[in-house]
Amino acid sequence: MGGIYIKNKWLPYLLILPTILMICIFKIYPIIDSVIQGFSSADSNFTLDNYKLLFADKTFWNSLKVTLKFNIIIIPIQIIVSFIMALFVNVKIRGIEVFRTVFYLPFCISLTISTVIWQMMLNVNNGVINSMLGVLGLKPIGFLIDKKWALLSIILISSWRGCAYWMMFILAGLKGIDSAVYESAKIDGSGFFNTMFRITIPLLKNTWLFVLVANTTANFLLFAPMQIATDGGPQGSTNVLMYEAYKSAFKYSNRPRQACLVTILLIIVMLICFVQNRFMTDKEAHR
Amino acid sequence: MTLKQKAFTRKVLIYIALIIMAVAALFPILFCLSASLRTQDDLFRNMFPFSIKSLIPTAATLENYVIIFTKHEFWRPIMNTMIVTVFTIIFGCILNSMAAFAFTCFEFKGKKILYPLVLISFMVPFEAIAIPLYSVASNLSMVDTYAGMIIPAVADGLVTFLFIQFFKDIPPSLVEAARVDGAKWPTIFTKIIMPISVPVFVTAGLMIFMNQWNSYMWPLLVARSKDIRTIQIAISQFSGERSIQWTYIYASSMVSAIIPICLFLPFQKHFVEGITAGSVKG
Repeated sequence: MGGIYIKNKWLPYLLILPTILMICIFKIYPIIDSVIQGFSSADSNFTLDNYKLLFADKTFWNSLKVTLKFNIIIIPIQIIVSFIMALFVNVKIRGIEVFRTVFYLPFCISLTISTVIWQMMLNVNNGVINSMLGVLGLKPIGFLIDKKWALLSIILISSWRGCAYWMMFILAGLKGIDSAVYESAKIDGSGFFNTMFRITIPLLKNTWLFVLVANTTANFLLFAPMQIATDGGPQGSTNVLMYEAYKSAFKYSNRPRQACLVTILLIIVMLICFVQNRFMTDKEAHR
Repeated sequence: MTLKQKAFTRKVLIYIALIIMAVAALFPILFCLSASLRTQDDLFRNMFPFSIKSLIPTAATLENYVIIFTKHEFWRPIMNTMIVTVFTIIFGCILNSMAAFAFTCFEFKGKKILYPLVLISFMVPFEAIAIPLYSVASNLSMVDTYAGMIIPAVADGLVTFLFIQFFKDIPPSLVEAARVDGAKWPTIFTKIIMPISVPVFVTAGLMIFMNQWNSYMWPLLVARSKDIRTIQIAISQFSGERSIQWTYIYASSMVSAIIPICLFLPFQKHFVEGITAGSVKG
Protein backbone atom coordinates (compact mmCIF):
# COMPACT_ATOMS: atom_id res chain seq x y z
CA MET A 1 0.00 0.00 0.00
CA GLY A 2 3.07 2.14 0.05
CA GLY A 3 2.61 5.34 -1.80
CA ILE A 4 -1.13 5.86 -1.82
CA TYR A 5 -1.73 8.52 0.69
CA ILE A 6 -5.29 9.55 0.92
CA LYS A 7 -6.26 12.88 2.34
CA ASN A 8 -8.92 12.72 4.97
CA LYS A 9 -9.44 15.39 7.55
CA TRP A 10 -10.17 13.59 10.76
CA LEU A 11 -10.04 9.83 10.20
CA PRO A 12 -6.26 9.32 10.47
CA TYR A 13 -6.16 11.30 13.70
CA LEU A 14 -8.97 9.25 15.11
CA LEU A 15 -7.15 6.05 14.19
CA ILE A 16 -3.85 6.99 15.76
CA LEU A 17 -5.27 8.85 18.74
CA PRO A 18 -5.50 5.91 21.20
CA THR A 19 -2.04 4.60 20.41
CA ILE A 20 -0.33 8.00 20.48
CA LEU A 21 -2.15 9.03 23.63
CA MET A 22 -1.09 5.86 25.42
CA ILE A 23 2.48 6.15 24.23
CA CYS A 24 2.65 9.70 25.55
CA ILE A 25 1.10 8.85 28.92
CA PHE A 26 2.79 5.52 29.57
CA LYS A 27 6.12 5.85 27.80
CA ILE A 28 7.18 9.43 27.15
CA TYR A 29 5.80 11.18 30.23
CA PRO A 30 7.39 8.79 32.79
CA ILE A 31 10.87 9.47 31.38
CA ILE A 32 10.44 13.23 31.52
CA ASP A 33 8.93 12.96 34.98
CA SER A 34 11.85 10.85 36.15
CA VAL A 35 14.44 13.34 34.95
CA ILE A 36 12.57 16.27 36.53
CA GLN A 37 12.16 14.49 39.86
CA GLY A 38 15.88 13.92 40.14
CA PHE A 39 16.43 17.67 40.01
CA SER A 40 13.56 18.63 42.31
CA SER A 41 13.69 19.35 46.01
CA ALA A 42 10.87 18.45 48.39
CA ASP A 43 9.16 21.79 47.65
CA SER A 44 9.56 21.31 43.86
CA ASN A 45 12.43 23.76 43.34
CA PHE A 46 15.42 23.04 41.16
CA THR A 47 18.22 21.44 43.13
CA LEU A 48 21.31 19.32 42.69
CA ASP A 49 21.10 17.98 46.24
CA ASN A 50 19.69 14.60 45.21
CA TYR A 51 22.67 13.96 43.01
CA LYS A 52 25.11 15.30 45.63
CA LEU A 53 23.63 12.94 48.21
CA LEU A 54 23.83 10.05 45.80
CA PHE A 55 27.44 10.71 44.82
CA ALA A 56 28.43 10.84 48.50
CA ASP A 57 26.91 7.40 49.01
CA LYS A 58 29.24 4.40 49.02
CA THR A 59 26.41 2.04 48.06
CA PHE A 60 25.97 3.94 44.82
CA TRP A 61 29.63 3.58 43.82
CA ASN A 62 29.57 -0.09 44.70
CA SER A 63 26.43 -0.58 42.59
CA LEU A 64 28.01 1.27 39.69
CA LYS A 65 31.06 -0.97 39.92
CA VAL A 66 28.90 -4.12 40.09
CA THR A 67 26.79 -2.95 37.13
CA LEU A 68 29.86 -2.31 34.97
CA LYS A 69 31.52 -5.58 35.97
CA PHE A 70 28.32 -7.53 35.30
CA ASN A 71 27.89 -6.02 31.85
CA ILE A 72 31.51 -6.29 30.80
CA ILE A 73 31.26 -10.02 31.39
CA ILE A 74 27.71 -10.81 30.31
CA ILE A 75 27.46 -8.85 27.04
CA PRO A 76 30.39 -10.54 25.23
CA ILE A 77 29.43 -13.95 26.66
CA GLN A 78 25.85 -13.71 25.47
CA ILE A 79 26.75 -12.42 22.03
CA ILE A 80 29.52 -14.93 21.40
CA VAL A 81 27.54 -17.92 22.69
CA SER A 82 24.41 -16.96 20.74
CA PHE A 83 26.51 -16.47 17.61
CA ILE A 84 28.05 -19.94 18.01
CA MET A 85 24.59 -21.44 18.60
CA ALA A 86 23.21 -19.65 15.54
CA LEU A 87 26.12 -20.84 13.38
CA PHE A 88 25.52 -24.45 14.38
CA VAL A 89 21.77 -24.26 13.96
CA ASN A 90 22.28 -22.77 10.50
CA VAL A 91 24.17 -25.85 9.27
CA LYS A 92 22.13 -27.93 6.87
CA ILE A 93 22.16 -31.33 8.49
CA ARG A 94 19.51 -33.94 9.27
CA GLY A 95 17.44 -33.23 12.40
CA ILE A 96 18.54 -29.62 12.68
CA GLU A 97 14.92 -28.44 13.15
CA VAL A 98 14.75 -30.48 16.34
CA PHE A 99 17.89 -28.85 17.70
CA ARG A 100 16.65 -25.41 16.71
CA THR A 101 13.41 -25.98 18.60
CA VAL A 102 15.32 -27.25 21.63
CA PHE A 103 17.55 -24.17 21.57
CA TYR A 104 14.49 -21.93 21.51
CA LEU A 105 12.97 -23.63 24.56
CA PRO A 106 14.77 -21.64 27.29
CA PHE A 107 13.30 -18.50 25.77
CA CYS A 108 9.81 -19.83 26.50
CA ILE A 109 10.64 -20.13 30.18
CA SER A 110 10.33 -16.65 31.66
CA LEU A 111 13.28 -15.06 33.39
CA THR A 112 11.44 -15.28 36.70
CA ILE A 113 10.91 -18.99 36.40
CA SER A 114 14.38 -19.73 35.08
CA THR A 115 15.78 -17.82 38.04
CA VAL A 116 13.65 -19.75 40.49
CA ILE A 117 14.57 -23.11 38.94
CA TRP A 118 18.28 -22.31 38.77
CA GLN A 119 18.20 -20.96 42.30
CA MET A 120 17.07 -24.35 43.56
CA MET A 121 19.49 -26.23 41.31
CA LEU A 122 22.41 -24.12 42.52
CA ASN A 123 21.51 -24.45 46.20
CA VAL A 124 24.44 -25.35 48.41
CA ASN A 125 22.67 -28.02 50.47
CA ASN A 126 20.17 -29.68 48.18
CA GLY A 127 21.06 -28.46 44.71
CA VAL A 128 21.56 -30.88 41.86
CA ILE A 129 24.53 -28.96 40.43
CA ASN A 130 26.50 -29.33 43.65
CA SER A 131 25.50 -32.97 43.79
CA MET A 132 26.90 -33.46 40.29
CA LEU A 133 30.08 -31.57 41.13
CA GLY A 134 30.44 -33.98 44.03
CA VAL A 135 31.15 -36.73 41.50
CA LEU A 136 34.24 -34.78 40.48
CA GLY A 137 35.24 -34.65 44.13
CA LEU A 138 34.41 -30.97 44.58
CA LYS A 139 33.05 -29.58 47.83
CA PRO A 140 29.60 -27.91 47.59
CA ILE A 141 29.87 -24.34 46.34
CA GLY A 142 27.59 -21.59 47.66
CA PHE A 143 26.84 -20.31 44.18
CA LEU A 144 24.35 -17.70 45.29
CA ILE A 145 25.56 -17.06 48.84
CA ASP A 146 29.31 -16.81 48.24
CA LYS A 147 30.58 -13.37 47.28
CA LYS A 148 32.99 -14.90 44.78
CA TRP A 149 30.31 -16.82 42.89
CA ALA A 150 27.07 -14.85 43.15
CA LEU A 151 27.58 -12.49 40.22
CA LEU A 152 28.83 -15.29 37.97
CA SER A 153 25.82 -17.41 38.91
CA ILE A 154 23.47 -14.57 38.00
CA ILE A 155 25.30 -14.28 34.67
CA LEU A 156 24.79 -17.99 34.08
CA ILE A 157 21.09 -17.80 34.93
CA SER A 158 20.41 -14.79 32.70
CA SER A 159 22.47 -16.14 29.83
CA TRP A 160 20.80 -19.53 29.84
CA ARG A 161 17.60 -17.84 28.73
CA GLY A 162 19.16 -14.81 27.06
CA CYS A 163 21.29 -16.74 24.56
CA ALA A 164 18.20 -18.49 23.20
CA TYR A 165 16.65 -15.09 22.56
CA TRP A 166 19.63 -13.39 20.93
CA MET A 167 20.30 -16.48 18.84
CA MET A 168 17.00 -15.88 17.04
CA PHE A 169 18.15 -12.49 15.80
CA ILE A 170 21.58 -13.68 14.71
CA LEU A 171 20.06 -16.71 13.01
CA ALA A 172 17.67 -14.43 11.14
CA GLY A 173 20.68 -12.40 10.03
CA LEU A 174 22.59 -15.50 8.92
CA LYS A 175 19.60 -16.68 6.90
CA GLY A 176 19.61 -13.34 5.11
CA ILE A 177 23.08 -13.94 3.69
CA ASP A 178 22.97 -15.13 0.09
CA SER A 179 24.43 -18.64 -0.13
CA ALA A 180 26.11 -17.68 -3.41
CA VAL A 181 28.51 -15.55 -1.35
CA TYR A 182 29.70 -18.64 0.50
CA GLU A 183 30.01 -20.66 -2.67
CA SER A 184 32.23 -18.14 -4.39
CA ALA A 185 34.34 -17.91 -1.21
CA LYS A 186 34.72 -21.67 -1.29
CA ILE A 187 35.79 -21.60 -4.92
CA ASP A 188 38.36 -18.95 -4.07
CA GLY A 189 39.74 -21.37 -1.49
CA SER A 190 38.71 -19.42 1.59
CA GLY A 191 38.96 -21.52 4.76
CA PHE A 192 36.39 -21.72 7.55
CA PHE A 193 37.85 -19.00 9.77
CA ASN A 194 38.68 -16.75 6.86
CA THR A 195 35.09 -17.00 5.60
CA MET A 196 33.75 -16.35 9.07
CA PHE A 197 35.82 -13.26 9.90
CA ARG A 198 36.05 -11.79 6.41
CA ILE A 199 32.56 -12.58 5.12
CA THR A 200 29.99 -13.78 7.67
CA ILE A 201 30.74 -11.36 10.50
CA PRO A 202 31.05 -8.22 8.32
CA LEU A 203 27.88 -9.10 6.41
CA LEU A 204 25.93 -9.28 9.66
CA LYS A 205 26.68 -5.62 10.39
CA ASN A 206 23.04 -4.56 10.82
CA THR A 207 22.34 -7.54 13.02
CA TRP A 208 25.35 -6.81 15.21
CA LEU A 209 24.36 -3.23 15.68
CA PHE A 210 20.86 -4.19 16.78
CA VAL A 211 21.94 -7.10 18.97
CA LEU A 212 24.69 -5.07 20.62
CA VAL A 213 22.47 -2.10 21.41
CA ALA A 214 19.47 -4.17 22.51
CA ASN A 215 21.60 -6.54 24.56
CA THR A 216 23.41 -3.69 26.29
CA THR A 217 20.14 -1.98 27.15
CA ALA A 218 18.55 -5.20 28.39
CA ASN A 219 21.47 -6.20 30.58
CA PHE A 220 22.10 -2.78 32.08
CA LEU A 221 18.48 -2.68 33.21
CA LEU A 222 18.26 -6.28 34.32
CA PHE A 223 17.35 -6.81 37.93
CA ALA A 224 14.81 -9.63 38.31
CA PRO A 225 17.37 -12.41 38.90
CA MET A 226 19.11 -10.34 41.55
CA GLN A 227 15.86 -9.49 43.22
CA ILE A 228 14.68 -13.09 43.30
CA ALA A 229 17.87 -15.06 43.86
CA THR A 230 20.28 -12.90 45.86
CA ASP A 231 18.50 -9.74 46.97
CA GLY A 232 21.55 -7.82 45.79
CA GLY A 233 23.78 -9.73 48.16
CA PRO A 234 25.95 -11.28 49.43
CA GLN A 235 27.58 -8.09 50.68
CA GLY A 236 26.26 -6.08 47.77
CA SER A 237 28.12 -8.20 45.23
CA THR A 238 25.10 -8.43 42.90
CA ASN A 239 23.53 -5.10 43.81
CA VAL A 240 23.26 -3.54 40.35
CA LEU A 241 22.10 0.06 39.85
CA MET A 242 18.68 -0.95 38.58
CA TYR A 243 18.03 -3.02 41.69
CA GLU A 244 19.25 -0.19 43.87
CA ALA A 245 16.78 2.06 42.04
CA TYR A 246 13.98 -0.42 42.66
CA LYS A 247 14.86 -0.62 46.35
CA SER A 248 15.11 3.17 46.61
CA ALA A 249 11.56 3.55 45.38
CA PHE A 250 9.84 0.65 47.08
CA LYS A 251 11.94 -0.24 50.12
CA TYR A 252 13.28 3.14 51.23
CA SER A 253 10.45 5.21 49.68
CA ASN A 254 13.06 7.60 48.35
CA ARG A 255 11.68 8.65 44.97
CA PRO A 256 14.25 11.36 44.12
CA ARG A 257 17.08 8.89 44.71
CA GLN A 258 15.40 6.39 42.41
CA ALA A 259 14.90 9.09 39.77
CA CYS A 260 18.60 10.02 39.92
CA LEU A 261 19.65 6.38 39.66
CA VAL A 262 17.43 5.67 36.66
CA THR A 263 18.54 8.89 34.95
CA ILE A 264 22.21 8.02 35.45
CA LEU A 265 21.58 4.50 34.22
CA LEU A 266 19.82 5.77 31.09
CA ILE A 267 22.64 8.21 30.40
CA ILE A 268 25.22 5.42 30.70
CA VAL A 269 23.20 3.19 28.39
CA MET A 270 22.70 5.99 25.86
CA LEU A 271 26.41 6.83 25.88
CA ILE A 272 27.42 3.23 25.36
CA CYS A 273 24.88 2.72 22.59
CA PHE A 274 26.07 5.93 20.95
CA VAL A 275 29.68 4.70 21.01
CA GLN A 276 28.63 1.30 19.67
CA ASN A 277 26.67 2.98 16.90
CA ARG A 278 29.60 5.22 16.04
CA PHE A 279 32.05 2.35 16.09
CA MET A 280 29.91 0.10 13.88
CA THR A 281 29.09 2.72 11.27
CA ASP A 282 32.61 4.13 11.25
CA LYS A 283 33.98 0.80 10.18
CA GLU A 284 31.68 0.82 7.20
CA ALA A 285 32.93 4.24 6.08
CA HIS A 286 36.49 2.94 5.89
CA ARG A 287 35.56 -0.08 3.89
CA MET B 1 41.78 -39.19 5.09
CA THR B 2 39.58 -39.31 2.06
CA LEU B 3 37.14 -36.53 1.36
CA LYS B 4 34.27 -38.78 2.39
CA GLN B 5 35.85 -39.57 5.75
CA LYS B 6 36.54 -35.90 6.30
CA ALA B 7 32.89 -34.99 5.67
CA PHE B 8 31.81 -37.76 8.03
CA THR B 9 34.10 -36.57 10.86
CA ARG B 10 32.84 -33.05 10.36
CA LYS B 11 29.26 -34.23 10.65
CA VAL B 12 29.97 -36.20 13.82
CA LEU B 13 31.70 -33.19 15.41
CA ILE B 14 28.77 -30.94 14.55
CA TYR B 15 26.33 -33.40 16.11
CA ILE B 16 28.46 -33.67 19.25
CA ALA B 17 28.51 -29.86 19.61
CA LEU B 18 24.77 -29.68 18.97
CA ILE B 19 24.07 -32.36 21.57
CA ILE B 20 26.22 -30.62 24.20
CA MET B 21 24.34 -27.36 23.63
CA ALA B 22 20.99 -29.17 23.62
CA VAL B 23 21.78 -30.77 26.99
CA ALA B 24 22.64 -27.35 28.42
CA ALA B 25 19.36 -25.95 27.11
CA LEU B 26 17.23 -28.88 28.19
CA PHE B 27 18.74 -29.95 31.50
CA PRO B 28 17.03 -27.37 33.74
CA ILE B 29 13.68 -27.96 32.06
CA LEU B 30 13.87 -31.75 32.29
CA PHE B 31 15.17 -31.62 35.84
CA CYS B 32 12.30 -29.33 36.75
CA LEU B 33 9.82 -31.75 35.17
CA SER B 34 11.33 -34.71 36.97
CA ALA B 35 11.48 -32.92 40.33
CA SER B 36 7.86 -31.80 39.97
CA LEU B 37 6.83 -35.46 39.83
CA ARG B 38 8.39 -36.53 43.13
CA THR B 39 7.99 -35.85 46.81
CA GLN B 40 10.39 -33.46 48.47
CA ASP B 41 11.59 -36.26 50.70
CA ASP B 42 12.39 -38.43 47.68
CA LEU B 43 14.15 -35.51 45.99
CA PHE B 44 16.34 -34.52 48.95
CA ARG B 45 17.15 -38.00 50.22
CA ASN B 46 18.58 -39.07 46.86
CA MET B 47 20.43 -35.85 46.08
CA PHE B 48 23.72 -36.60 47.83
CA PRO B 49 25.74 -38.53 46.83
CA PHE B 50 24.96 -38.14 43.17
CA SER B 51 23.37 -41.09 41.39
CA ILE B 52 20.80 -41.60 38.69
CA LYS B 53 18.19 -41.40 41.47
CA SER B 54 19.15 -37.76 41.97
CA LEU B 55 17.71 -37.02 38.56
CA ILE B 56 14.87 -39.49 38.14
CA PRO B 57 11.94 -40.06 40.52
CA THR B 58 11.97 -43.35 42.39
CA ALA B 59 8.17 -43.19 42.49
CA ALA B 60 6.45 -40.62 40.27
CA THR B 61 3.50 -38.78 41.77
CA LEU B 62 1.16 -35.98 40.71
CA GLU B 63 0.68 -34.90 44.31
CA ASN B 64 2.55 -31.59 43.88
CA TYR B 65 0.28 -30.54 41.04
CA VAL B 66 -2.81 -31.45 43.04
CA ILE B 67 -1.60 -29.50 46.07
CA ILE B 68 -0.62 -26.31 44.23
CA PHE B 69 -4.02 -26.19 42.57
CA THR B 70 -6.09 -27.03 45.65
CA LYS B 71 -4.24 -25.78 48.72
CA HIS B 72 -2.35 -22.92 47.09
CA GLU B 73 -5.11 -21.95 44.65
CA PHE B 74 -2.65 -21.79 41.81
CA TRP B 75 -5.46 -21.58 39.28
CA ARG B 76 -6.06 -18.03 40.44
CA PRO B 77 -2.78 -16.50 39.16
CA ILE B 78 -3.20 -18.53 35.98
CA MET B 79 -6.67 -17.06 35.44
CA ASN B 80 -5.37 -13.57 36.21
CA THR B 81 -2.53 -13.92 33.75
CA MET B 82 -4.96 -15.26 31.13
CA ILE B 83 -7.31 -12.29 31.61
CA VAL B 84 -4.47 -9.77 31.39
CA THR B 85 -2.91 -11.49 28.39
CA VAL B 86 -6.10 -11.99 26.40
CA PHE B 87 -7.30 -8.41 26.85
CA THR B 88 -3.87 -6.98 26.01
CA ILE B 89 -3.79 -9.07 22.85
CA ILE B 90 -7.28 -7.94 21.78
CA PHE B 91 -6.76 -4.23 22.46
CA GLY B 92 -3.14 -4.32 21.33
CA CYS B 93 -3.98 -5.88 17.98
CA ILE B 94 -6.90 -3.55 17.30
CA LEU B 95 -5.34 -0.25 18.36
CA ASN B 96 -1.85 -0.82 16.98
CA SER B 97 -3.17 -2.05 13.65
CA MET B 98 -5.48 0.97 13.44
CA ALA B 99 -2.56 3.30 13.99
CA ALA B 100 -0.48 1.40 11.47
CA PHE B 101 -3.33 1.64 8.95
CA ALA B 102 -3.40 5.42 9.40
CA PHE B 103 0.36 5.71 9.01
CA THR B 104 0.49 3.64 5.82
CA CYS B 105 -2.71 4.76 4.13
CA PHE B 106 -3.14 8.42 4.92
CA GLU B 107 -1.32 11.65 4.53
CA PHE B 108 -1.93 13.96 7.46
CA LYS B 109 -0.38 16.89 9.26
CA GLY B 110 2.02 15.96 12.03
CA LYS B 111 2.77 12.55 10.63
CA LYS B 112 6.46 13.37 10.46
CA ILE B 113 6.49 14.01 14.21
CA LEU B 114 4.13 11.26 15.29
CA TYR B 115 5.77 8.43 13.38
CA PRO B 116 9.19 8.84 15.04
CA LEU B 117 7.38 9.08 18.37
CA VAL B 118 6.02 5.57 17.83
CA LEU B 119 9.47 4.30 16.85
CA ILE B 120 11.17 5.89 19.85
CA SER B 121 8.64 4.35 22.19
CA PHE B 122 9.80 0.85 21.41
CA MET B 123 13.39 1.73 22.09
CA VAL B 124 12.51 2.88 25.59
CA PRO B 125 13.15 -0.06 27.88
CA PHE B 126 10.22 -0.78 30.10
CA GLU B 127 12.33 -1.32 33.21
CA ALA B 128 13.67 2.20 33.00
CA ILE B 129 10.25 3.81 33.13
CA ALA B 130 8.47 1.29 35.34
CA ILE B 131 8.95 3.20 38.56
CA PRO B 132 7.81 6.64 37.34
CA LEU B 133 5.05 4.83 35.46
CA TYR B 134 3.85 3.57 38.81
CA SER B 135 2.93 7.11 39.87
CA VAL B 136 1.03 7.58 36.61
CA ALA B 137 -0.88 4.37 37.26
CA SER B 138 -1.56 5.37 40.83
CA ASN B 139 -2.87 8.79 39.73
CA LEU B 140 -5.22 7.01 37.34
CA SER B 141 -6.18 4.68 40.22
CA MET B 142 -5.01 1.67 38.29
CA VAL B 143 -2.99 0.15 41.11
CA ASP B 144 -4.14 -3.36 41.96
CA THR B 145 -6.48 -3.60 39.01
CA TYR B 146 -6.41 -5.63 35.82
CA ALA B 147 -6.55 -2.37 33.90
CA GLY B 148 -3.25 -1.35 35.48
CA MET B 149 -1.57 -4.34 33.92
CA ILE B 150 -3.41 -4.21 30.60
CA ILE B 151 -3.65 -0.57 29.52
CA PRO B 152 0.00 0.51 29.78
CA ALA B 153 1.00 -2.52 27.69
CA VAL B 154 -1.50 -1.98 24.87
CA ALA B 155 0.25 0.70 22.82
CA ASP B 156 3.44 -0.94 21.65
CA GLY B 157 5.69 0.73 19.11
CA LEU B 158 7.15 -2.56 17.99
CA VAL B 159 3.74 -4.06 17.28
CA THR B 160 2.63 -0.92 15.40
CA PHE B 161 5.83 -1.06 13.40
CA LEU B 162 5.22 -4.72 12.60
CA PHE B 163 1.77 -3.88 11.21
CA ILE B 164 3.16 -0.97 9.19
CA GLN B 165 5.77 -3.23 7.59
CA PHE B 166 3.05 -5.66 6.57
CA PHE B 167 0.46 -3.12 5.39
CA LYS B 168 3.04 -1.46 3.15
CA ASP B 169 3.09 -4.58 0.99
CA ILE B 170 -0.65 -4.75 0.42
CA PRO B 171 -1.32 -3.83 -3.22
CA PRO B 172 -3.01 -0.39 -3.46
CA SER B 173 -5.31 -1.66 -6.22
CA LEU B 174 -7.16 -3.75 -3.65
CA VAL B 175 -8.08 -0.69 -1.61
CA GLU B 176 -8.74 1.46 -4.66
CA ALA B 177 -11.15 -1.09 -6.12
CA ALA B 178 -13.13 -1.12 -2.92
CA ARG B 179 -13.14 2.68 -2.83
CA VAL B 180 -14.54 2.80 -6.36
CA ASP B 181 -17.26 0.42 -5.24
CA GLY B 182 -18.13 3.00 -2.61
CA ALA B 183 -16.89 1.12 0.45
CA LYS B 184 -16.42 3.19 3.59
CA TRP B 185 -13.07 3.17 5.45
CA PRO B 186 -14.24 1.01 8.35
CA THR B 187 -15.48 -1.58 5.85
CA ILE B 188 -12.22 -1.45 3.93
CA PHE B 189 -10.29 -2.01 7.12
CA THR B 190 -12.38 -4.84 8.52
CA LYS B 191 -13.40 -6.56 5.29
CA ILE B 192 -10.31 -6.14 3.11
CA ILE B 193 -7.25 -5.34 5.16
CA MET B 194 -7.89 -7.53 8.19
CA PRO B 195 -8.63 -10.81 6.37
CA ILE B 196 -5.43 -10.67 4.32
CA SER B 197 -3.42 -9.65 7.35
CA VAL B 198 -4.09 -12.75 9.44
CA PRO B 199 -0.40 -13.78 9.55
CA VAL B 200 0.70 -10.45 10.96
CA PHE B 201 -2.10 -10.53 13.51
CA VAL B 202 -0.87 -13.96 14.62
CA THR B 203 2.69 -12.67 14.97
CA ALA B 204 1.61 -9.55 16.82
CA GLY B 205 -0.66 -11.55 19.10
CA LEU B 206 2.13 -13.97 19.88
CA MET B 207 4.54 -11.16 20.62
CA ILE B 208 2.10 -9.51 22.99
CA PHE B 209 1.40 -12.86 24.57
CA MET B 210 5.07 -13.60 25.28
CA ASN B 211 5.57 -10.11 26.69
CA GLN B 212 2.58 -10.21 28.98
CA TRP B 213 2.85 -13.81 30.07
CA ASN B 214 6.48 -13.33 31.07
CA SER B 215 6.35 -9.79 32.35
CA TYR B 216 7.57 -9.51 35.88
CA MET B 217 8.59 -6.05 36.92
CA TRP B 218 5.40 -4.21 36.04
CA PRO B 219 2.93 -6.62 37.67
CA LEU B 220 5.28 -6.74 40.66
CA LEU B 221 4.81 -3.01 41.10
CA VAL B 222 1.25 -2.44 40.04
CA ALA B 223 -0.59 -5.60 41.10
CA ARG B 224 0.70 -6.78 44.42
CA SER B 225 -2.51 -7.95 46.05
CA LYS B 226 -2.98 -11.68 46.23
CA ASP B 227 -6.27 -11.64 44.32
CA ILE B 228 -4.95 -10.29 41.06
CA ARG B 229 -1.28 -11.22 41.06
CA THR B 230 -0.02 -12.94 37.95
CA ILE B 231 1.72 -16.25 37.56
CA GLN B 232 5.27 -14.86 37.55
CA ILE B 233 4.67 -12.94 40.75
CA ALA B 234 2.99 -15.93 42.39
CA ILE B 235 5.98 -18.14 41.66
CA SER B 236 8.57 -15.60 42.75
CA GLN B 237 6.67 -15.12 46.00
CA PHE B 238 6.33 -18.87 46.34
CA SER B 239 10.08 -19.23 46.19
CA GLY B 240 10.52 -16.58 48.84
CA GLU B 241 8.45 -18.46 51.42
CA ARG B 242 10.62 -20.39 53.82
CA SER B 243 8.14 -23.15 54.54
CA ILE B 244 7.28 -23.92 50.94
CA GLN B 245 8.27 -27.27 49.49
CA TRP B 246 10.61 -27.11 46.53
CA THR B 247 8.65 -29.69 44.61
CA TYR B 248 5.64 -27.34 44.65
CA ILE B 249 7.76 -24.63 43.08
CA TYR B 250 9.01 -27.04 40.44
CA ALA B 251 5.43 -28.09 39.68
CA SER B 252 4.13 -24.54 39.44
CA SER B 253 7.08 -23.57 37.21
CA MET B 254 6.20 -26.44 34.91
CA VAL B 255 2.57 -25.33 34.73
CA SER B 256 3.49 -21.77 33.87
CA ALA B 257 6.07 -22.82 31.30
CA ILE B 258 3.91 -25.28 29.44
CA ILE B 259 1.47 -22.71 28.06
CA PRO B 260 4.06 -20.46 26.35
CA ILE B 261 5.89 -23.53 25.08
CA CYS B 262 2.70 -24.92 23.51
CA LEU B 263 1.94 -21.58 21.89
CA PHE B 264 5.45 -20.66 20.85
CA LEU B 265 6.69 -23.86 19.26
CA PRO B 266 4.03 -24.22 16.55
CA PHE B 267 4.35 -20.52 15.67
CA GLN B 268 8.11 -20.11 16.17
CA LYS B 269 8.59 -19.14 12.55
CA HIS B 270 6.03 -16.33 12.77
CA PHE B 271 7.56 -15.04 15.96
CA VAL B 272 11.11 -15.03 14.63
CA GLU B 273 9.96 -13.31 11.45
CA GLY B 274 8.11 -10.76 13.54
CA ILE B 275 10.97 -9.78 15.76
CA THR B 276 13.25 -9.75 12.76
CA ALA B 277 11.01 -7.35 10.89
CA GLY B 278 11.03 -5.09 13.91
CA SER B 279 14.78 -5.08 14.37
CA VAL B 280 17.14 -6.22 11.69
CA LYS B 281 15.20 -4.88 8.73
CA GLY B 282 14.19 -1.76 10.61
